[in-house]
Amino acid sequence: MSKSTNVVELTPPVEQSQTRFVTLAGNPNSGKTSLFNALTGAYQHVGNYAGVTVERKEGLRRHDGLDLRIVDLPGTYSLATNSLEERIARDVLVTESPDVTVSVVDASNLERNLYLTVQLLELGLPVVVALNMVDVARSRGADFDVDKLSKLLRSPVVRTVARRGEGVRDLLEAIVERSTFPAPSEFHVEYGPDLEREIARLDGLLAVANPGLAPIPRRGLAVALLEGVDTHRTRGLGAGLLRAAEEAGSRVERLLGDPPDLLIAERRHGAAAGLARQVTVRSTLARRDVTDLIDRVLVNRVLGIPIFLATMYAVFHVTFTVAERPMEWIELGFARLGEAVGGSLPLGSQSVLHSLLVDGIIGGVGGVLVFLPNIVLLFLAISLLEDSGYMARAAFVMDRVMKTVGLHGKSFIPMLLGFGCSIPAIMATRTIESRRARMTTMMVIPLMSCSARLPIYALIIPAFFAAHARAWVLWIIYLTGIALAMLCAWLLRRTLFAGEGLPFLMELPPYRAPTLRSIARHVVERSWLYVQKAGTIILGISIVMWALATFPRLDPVAWAADSGVAVQDLDDDRLASARLDHSLAGRIGHAMEPLVAPMGFDWKIGTALVGAFAAKEVFVAQLGIVYSVASPDETGAAFLRERLRADYSPLVGFCIMLFALIATPCMATVAVVRRESGSWGWAAFQFLGLTALAWVVTVIVFQTGTALGLGV
Amino acid sequence: MTAAALSASLEDYLEAIYHIVRDKRAARPKDISQYLDVCSSSVTGALKALAERNLVNYAPYDIVTLTRAGEVAARDVVRRHESLREFFIKVLAADPGLAEQAACKMEHEIPPELVDRCIRFVEFVEMCPRGDTGLLEGFRLHLEQGCRPRCFDTCDREPQLPVVQDDGAGPEGGHGRVTLADLQPDQTAVVKRVQGEGTLRRRLMDLGIIAGTSVTMERTAPLGDPLEFLVRGAHLSLRREEASAVQVDVIR
Repeated sequence: MSKSTNVVELTPPVEQSQTRFVTLAGNPNSGKTSLFNALTGAYQHVGNYAGVTVERKEGLRRHDGLDLRIVDLPGTYSLATNSLEERIARDVLVTESPDVTVSVVDASNLERNLYLTVQLLELGLPVVVALNMVDVARSRGADFDVDKLSKLLRSPVVRTVARRGEGVRDLLEAIVERSTFPAPSEFHVEYGPDLEREIARLDGLLAVANPGLAPIPRRGLAVALLEGVDTHRTRGLGAGLLRAAEEAGSRVERLLGDPPDLLIAERRHGAAAGLARQVTVRSTLARRDVTDLIDRVLVNRVLGIPIFLATMYAVFHVTFTVAERPMEWIELGFARLGEAVGGSLPLGSQSVLHSLLVDGIIGGVGGVLVFLPNIVLLFLAISLLEDSGYMARAAFVMDRVMKTVGLHGKSFIPMLLGFGCSIPAIMATRTIESRRARMTTMMVIPLMSCSARLPIYALIIPAFFAAHARAWVLWIIYLTGIALAMLCAWLLRRTLFAGEGLPFLMELPPYRAPTLRSIARHVVERSWLYVQKAGTIILGISIVMWALATFPRLDPVAWAADSGVAVQDLDDDRLASARLDHSLAGRIGHAMEPLVAPMGFDWKIGTALVGAFAAKEVFVAQLGIVYSVASPDETGAAFLRERLRADYSPLVGFCIMLFALIATPCMATVAVVRRESGSWGWAAFQFLGLTALAWVVTVIVFQTGTALGLGV
Repeated sequence: MTAAALSASLEDYLEAIYHIVRDKRAARPKDISQYLDVCSSSVTGALKALAERNLVNYAPYDIVTLTRAGEVAARDVVRRHESLREFFIKVLAADPGLAEQAACKMEHEIPPELVDRCIRFVEFVEMCPRGDTGLLEGFRLHLEQGCRPRCFDTCDREPQLPVVQDDGAGPEGGHGRVTLADLQPDQTAVVKRVQGEGTLRRRLMDLGIIAGTSVTMERTAPLGDPLEFLVRGAHLSLRREEASAVQVDVIR
């Protein structure tokens, strides 16, 4: 088959541009994204759909001299409901008229997946069916007559195992071949005499209103009208047609006792079931599959919650302990680099360039990159949970809890992602259909301790707590964040975002062994995002912070004369602290002192917290600069910890973490919230609200702790 | 009907000609002898016999086509053959090769009424919402693994079949309104009616929970809510209040 398509390619019957536009449509968990990755390799671009924040993944693939521009549509079960994803998918399919749409079908769940395929075909799109995960289906005892399915759907069908890259070449051949003869598919569902009569009537009206429309998409549009689906195209139709559709709908309901959308869905399911039955050659689908056996344990009535909590604890334990060794290496590397750069420059600590390079740039970036191992490991754990299918079980186990605060179990997943980074987490809230539930989730997500806060904990916990207690302290911090998030969500759902709940309804995908490739891709993608952030925003802020801590510069002789200290008595430490006092950072810190004093903080921490407002990880870099500017000969986290231990009590250490956990999301989060909520108002509300909450909680903890004598 | 008087072997010839003509528009005696694996002299004899009954257009050394009556007779044979094979494979879960052989032999003898019954039965099992695939799959499991309690989940459906007629408007009293939320783990039910407001109903529909679908309750979440169901081969989770919007008939 592949040979013959090559021949066709040499003499294309249709002369067209050398670029073809291909879309990938499929159910969530159908392996659509794996297939997209297998098709496009590294040539991907992740952007957003105009005006909304649903991710638009686009990739390029060259095949047989053709450039295939491939877009991964949002995963949907249907094209008929009006959720954001489905509307976007539908609009891309209708307005951008792809040359070929690949319908990604999970072969192990053929019937349910064909329901979407049927809808794609009804839109009159040139479709290629990728019968994906045939390996899973086969292991469950099902095999398929691909030729028959192809004949029934009047579209090419290709077997694939996207996770292993199998069948991708055949799929590319089929895409190229299908795009060479871009006739619409002729498949359609028979809706029975009563519905067909109404469809024909609407079809006739459409033909009059829009003579340019070809018969097949026109029929699809007529069906969509009868269903009451809101599409880009139905929106553009005249009021007369919409009224005609409404009347047709009520006629059907009077006649058959059910609304047309239900009847149409029934017929489509019937068609999908019929197709699946006809092409399934052998099916002894074992009812008690592996997934079921695993679930008997993992979401067990007794074990479900302990397993969930243990999983969370294990994730954080691994993130914290396994990362220690590589972190030491990176620390050492940056210290050496600082020495090397410092050594190659003209001597003298007065040199501004030397200070900028060693303290500002190398110190600042190094202080952030050193925590990369933490972040890589955390994302590794999160991708493992996501890819294996446990994430959905977490939502299943935790929904009862989320329900009490008026949220959806689905809110749990973005909140869990919040442990990685608030930015993707806030973007993930788009899977929540109700705006109220979505806004609530968005508002409390920053309370889920993101990985950028991990550097703060990683700096402070070892400084103040014994090795055996460290994981527990970290665990308590995370749990505090969760508890506060719940409390805030409950309050918000009762006040600002009061209103009815939403269907929970969610699929629990089969467990799958995550592949190395997809895990690696996830981890690299997300870690790179962190590094990019570190490289640009944080470097910039680090330099600003360095400048704040360096200027205005202090003249030691004049200072000594002013304060009456003999010049020969000046030691480095006194001079260093004097420099800090004199700098802008010191002045801001001092000005803030009365505000942060009730939390047990002094001006140095205050100064570092100003940095954390810009980005959480800057807290550490800033503290490092503040101290290394004071004593430029010593760098590194170990030294910083020593100084912290000398200056503060464990209670203050805990309060620093608590404040950093709750207070003000980072600038990037504020920007994303503004974009997702559509207003600066909500972003400002979140910013100020969380900061106020952080202050109140930390003051209470510090004052209570001091009163109980815990601050020693 | 002329075909009724035909011998088994003549029916085979008729069937062979039908298939060849469908593929190639016309049949040559050579094609027929190849198709049936017989010698050319018997083909000639059979063609003469068929031509006498006015079922084929035949002249020596010329191509063979079916007459109108011949086509009707041939279709009937083909239909019997295919329905039987279908019945053996689909209902009795027989090996396709064996089914083909048996159909070849039985097609000549079986009374048309019984063929009709077989067809109707396949139709019924496939179309009837209560039958679902579960019935046939259950039978297949039964053959493979001997009888296990699970087989009878499906066997038990039969006596309840008439319930289909009383749809929705049935009395609230009697044995009460049963919904998905009332199911116990491992209980299976068939969806009778989906209530609830727009978004929920639409979602349920898209995930395949519509009248006639069989749903098995899998388990309850550790905190008592939500519930997990097996629907069309997929595991879905619903909250109790959502599940209570779906009226069902318990099967087992």
